[in-house]
Amino acid sequence: MAEELRFRSLADQLRNWSDEQLSALLAHRPDLATTTPHDFGQLASRSAARASLARALDGLTTFELSVLDALVVAGQTTPAELTTLIDAEPSAVAEALARVEALALAWRSTDGLRAVGGLSDALGGGPGTSGLWPRTADAPSGDVLRTRLAELSEPARRMLEHLLESRSEATTSGSRVVVAVDDARTPAEELLARRLLVPRGGNGTLVVPGEVGLALRGGHTTDRAVDVEPSVATSPRTTALIDRTAAGAAFEAMRRVEMLLERWGTAPPAVLRNGGLGVRDLRAAAAWMQVDDAQAALLVEVAVAAGLVGQRADNEGDLAWVPSDAFDAWLDQPTSQRWARLATTWLTMPRSPARVGGRDEAGKVRNCLSAEIGEPQAPATRRATLEAIAELPAGETLAAGTGLASLVAHLTWRRPRRPRSWGRFTEEACREAAALGMLGLGGAPAYLRELLDHETASALDPLLPEPVDHVLIQADLTAVAPGPLESTLARSLHLVADIESQGGATVYRFTRDSVRRALDVGWTAVELHDFLGSVSRTPVPQPLTYLVDDTVRTFGSIRVGHAEAFLRADDENALTELLHHPQAAGLGLRRLAPTVLISSTSLDVLLPRLRELGAAPVVEGPDGAVQVTRPDVLRARTPRSGSGQRRSDAASSRSSAARETARIAAAVTSLRAGDRAAGAVGAAGPPSEVLSPSGALAALREAIDTGTTVVIGYLDNQGMTSDRVVDPRSVDGGSLVAFDHRADDVRGFAVHRIRTVRPLAPSG
Amino acid sequence: MNDGPLIVQSDKTLLLEIDHERAADCRRAIAPFAELERSPEHVHTYRLTPLGLWNARAAGHDAEQVIDTLLTFSRYAVPHALLVDVAETMARYGRLRLEKHPTHGLVLASSDRPVLEEVLRAKKIAGMLGSRIDDDTVVVHGSERGNLKQALLKLGWPAEDFAGYVDGEAHPIDLLEDGWTLRDYQRHAAESFWHGGSGVVVLPCGAGKTLVGAAAMAQARATTLILVTNTVSARQWKDELVRRTSLTEDEIGEYSGTVKEIRPVTIATYQVLTTRRKGTYPHLELLDARDWGLIVYDEVHLLPAPIFRMTADLQARRRIGLTATLVREDGREGDVFSLIGPKRYDAPWKDIEAQGWIAPADCVEVRVTLPTSERLTYATAEPEERYRLASCTHEKVRVVRDLVALHADSPTLVIGQYLEQLDELAAALDAPVITGETPVKERQRLFDAFRTGEIGLLVVSKVANFSIDLPSAEVAIQVSGSFGSRQEEAQRLGRLLRPGPPSPTGERKVARFYTVVSRDTVDADFAQNRQRFLAEQGYAYRIVDAEDLGV
Repeated sequence: MAEELRFRSLADQLRNWSDEQLSALLAHRPDLATTTPHDFGQLASRSAARASLARALDGLTTFELSVLDALVVAGQTTPAELTTLIDAEPSAVAEALARVEALALAWRSTDGLRAVGGLSDALGGGPGTSGLWPRTADAPSGDVLRTRLAELSEPARRMLEHLLESRSEATTSGSRVVVAVDDARTPAEELLARRLLVPRGGNGTLVVPGEVGLALRGGHTTDRAVDVEPSVATSPRTTALIDRTAAGAAFEAMRRVEMLLERWGTAPPAVLRNGGLGVRDLRAAAAWMQVDDAQAALLVEVAVAAGLVGQRADNEGDLAWVPSDAFDAWLDQPTSQRWARLATTWLTMPRSPARVGGRDEAGKVRNCLSAEIGEPQAPATRRATLEAIAELPAGETLAAGTGLASLVAHLTWRRPRRPRSWGRFTEEACREAAALGMLGLGGAPAYLRELLDHETASALDPLLPEPVDHVLIQADLTAVAPGPLESTLARSLHLVADIESQGGATVYRFTRDSVRRALDVGWTAVELHDFLGSVSRTPVPQPLTYLVDDTVRTFGSIRVGHAEAFLRADDENALTELLHHPQAAGLGLRRLAPTVLISSTSLDVLLPRLRELGAAPVVEGPDGAVQVTRPDVLRARTPRSGSGQRRSDAASSRSSAARETARIAAAVTSLRAGDRAAGAVGAAGPPSEVLSPSGALAALREAIDTGTTVVIGYLDNQGMTSDRVVDPRSVDGGSLVAFDHRADDVRGFAVHRIRTVRPLAPSG
Repeated sequence: MNDGPLIVQSDKTLLLEIDHERAADCRRAIAPFAELERSPEHVHTYRLTPLGLWNARAAGHDAEQVIDTLLTFSRYAVPHALLVDVAETMARYGRLRLEKHPTHGLVLASSDRPVLEEVLRAKKIAGMLGSRIDDDTVVVHGSERGNLKQALLKLGWPAEDFAGYVDGEAHPIDLLEDGWTLRDYQRHAAESFWHGGSGVVVLPCGAGKTLVGAAAMAQARATTLILVTNTVSARQWKDELVRRTSLTEDEIGEYSGTVKEIRPVTIATYQVLTTRRKGTYPHLELLDARDWGLIVYDEVHLLPAPIFRMTADLQARRRIGLTATLVREDGREGDVFSLIGPKRYDAPWKDIEAQGWIAPADCVEVRVTLPTSERLTYATAEPEERYRLASCTHEKVRVVRDLVALHADSPTLVIGQYLEQLDELAAALDAPVITGETPVKERQRLFDAFRTGEIGLLVVSKVANFSIDLPSAEVAIQVSGSFGSRQEEAQRLGRLLRPGPPSPTGERKVARFYTVVSRDTVDADFAQNRQRFLAEQGYAYRIVDAEDLGV
């Protein structure tokens, strides 16, 4: 139906669009609606502006760009003819054409289908273009062209083919431009004589007209099919293996974040002056998590972006990175939700952790968490990369070696106008996604689709190891938990034993110190034995029982008072030992009674010193009871999400989508209203006479599109307004290039000085 | 989820739950590439190391197999980084090859030019290489074969040695299997070695490593140089070879501090080879004295550094290393790998015990309390004196006397570190004492008497740690040691593990291993460290207070 409609201008066409079409346009080209346009004239004018065109083209595939290119080459044409010009399936062409029309990049003028003005420049020989010049208006017929081409000498033909490969452009360099066919001496003159090469502009540039290129390429704009999307090189794997590998990585990433933040809770690293994390602190974090620096940087960045870490002043008033209270809430969430939070954060965070450790222009190391790591392109690359992999058939993974390169080629075909650095970002995205468990063996696990669409990962749960409620205790004083422990059990065990190895399973080691640590926080021997007996699936080995008893035996045999700093013990010898200890001199110990010592040292110094000396003192409160302490765990407030980068859950992203829709609907409504108002004014005053700069622009673009001559009211350097009769050629960067009838030459006009634009009254 | 017996940790340890039904299969599958680190009763710990992975490559396994094994047996998902690391590490082996070139002699060849370029640029290696023959081949100075392999391993590009071996001077050697036969694992070990060309055989103490050496000699049928730790051990080798092989006394020479014989089979001590006079090693000529076809290194974990340097020059000869544990306290496992060869055979102690080839052991730690006066002395002592003070307490004498009385019928060794303590014990127990000062002849006589049962109790210093064959010993009581050496603990226990003849009632011998330590002192701390090795080998031990001994 749309094919029968013809419009005088792009603005007219837009005015005729349904609200749905307009909404779609504004949604896909949001820059058109930032500051809602007054009317359709302005909307059309904006949509043809260079910057806006460039943005719109950035979102097109190579094929869609080829369609636009063909349209530019063809000039005014019909959809049917356009289809024949493109080396592709007609249905695919129709689809691509519908899309570029919906984006207001092409429109139906009264004379036929055409690209919006300025599109030729915006394409600018970039990706997807064929290198052909537009057809000349009075193009000779195909037969004539074929005859002329057949007449060419071999060198001339080769020259023509070479020109076609290199932008179809040449300079005269001595060749006469006007030559008769029989008079041609050089290959270039041969081409010029047959109008296979024509001068363009006045500066000696020669171009091959589009119709010649088309004839040489067999009627198509390109010599190969353009609707073939490069496929991704894959190799098959079982889906179970992909799922398991990815889930393993997901579990590891989560566990490591948890492990690191637990540590930061007691030993927070400092915030650098540039807001980052020091190189040494990062390395310590990497060692603690048992990963390399790059992966540590990734996990730290994600944890901070997810709001699990905040800043807090330490005792000296220096800022430090500390887990936030959101971290505690996160810990209590089901496993898949915890992972989904990290994964979604990574997808949307505009930062590039791979840059950490590199050096900036000044040779300074880029710190983790500093502003230098920011990378606005990152979220788009990550999503595009994962979407492309998620689209692969189940069980297909990126082939080793060639897979990544083909993925980059595939993504490049889809968005050819992206900067070249996308290749590197894609590679980084793959690596980081594998580390976070969003990819396994280069393939998409079952839960990836769900994550991309809904920001949840319920399919991950069954893949994760089941929590276990027991350990295996062995005679070498180790205990092995053959899976992730239930969290209360894990905490208790962590208290009475040291962790030796972590992963799917955990290996704990019991030492005198670890048992004493449990006693320090108030456990009794009976409790310890009961606990070990209940968690161990096998009998508790004798050496461990002995270790506990032996530690209890010495534990608390010396008691230290707070008020007077006294040391008392039933064992006189123990005190004598302590008193005579060569390293105890600094403690200022003095014997009060056979079983009591006092110290001049304050308790907080004395206590660790005594432990160093091998004693196991406990602190006695004023009422004679044993006091137990445990180290304070630090927490910061959840940081407020600053730049809107964190849409931490699905709900907020849904609501923001709803907001977006409402905004666009409002824009469409106001556009219609504005247009009606402008129409009313237009009816009263002289037609097409406009006074605002944006109105002038719209009118000029319309004139360019329709190729009409207009009269502009131009304010010259002396402040005088004069009317000029011009043929507008292009509008760019605030200036109009137009053929000035009075000067009989092409001139530039500053757009802001153009007061009025009106069509030339029909002469005669 | 996979219900496998193996848990792969991201720190490259593998936990094997041995009560699992597929545990045995899994153990067999991972043994070629993973080092067994601990084998306590429920969960064994293996570790993936570059050396272990290269060992596996040397034995013909590839990364695909290793990864497949891990994925097959793993209960949980295998960390991705670990798989990548395995593949990368294994791919490094064999990129460089040492080969024999028909005209240029020994050459270093590569199929991967960047690797060769990287290696050629390393400073340490430049001096070992000659001219470049073509893009992928470079001449190696013949004398640098060993050093080059060592240096390449340090660079992380271990070379595969295809240059072959010289046959050496032929000499007929046969095993005389009259009334005894080589055990399956011994035969297997010797064959694995011969198949691989050079390498190390790891077997527990008492499992008959000497016979593996003899079997290797019978395979080589060539003149052999045997390097051992000390003279007594040298004599034992000689006796064993005379008894088990076709060699006669005249064909076997001893090259030690006292005797310097060079015969078709020569047994030399490390000590004499590493004796230095005026900055040179006068006895090095021994290595060139004959065209040796095989070199046997006994107790390879003790090889001193100079021997490593000499071994570097012997790369064209077949080499076999024998040891109970590849754990070196100095961390030079890499040198053993590059200079002697990769591990060719390994068997867990408990497996061999289960087959009855070594005796089961009962390990007990007895804790004594220091008397008040000694506690005071201990508390005020300098740190370096503390261990001696704690371990030499008189309290131990009483406990040792009780223990000896408890096992009056069994041949017993009392082992210690400090001479005064040993003398004191010898006096208290009325038993002969052997230390480093005892003449070799006297030592030999006492050991023989102990073996025949003439003496039932010996007090020995660390001279008895290694390679002394005392099959009759059933009880060992150690009172002090070299601080926390785990290896010493293993060797001492090893003294007891040779299975004696079954008793008339048919019961098998159970070795009893007592460690007497002083409570609440560094002695107890060291003891704990030493025991870790045994506990990790699966020997459960008990801790008993001296008062509760029940004597």
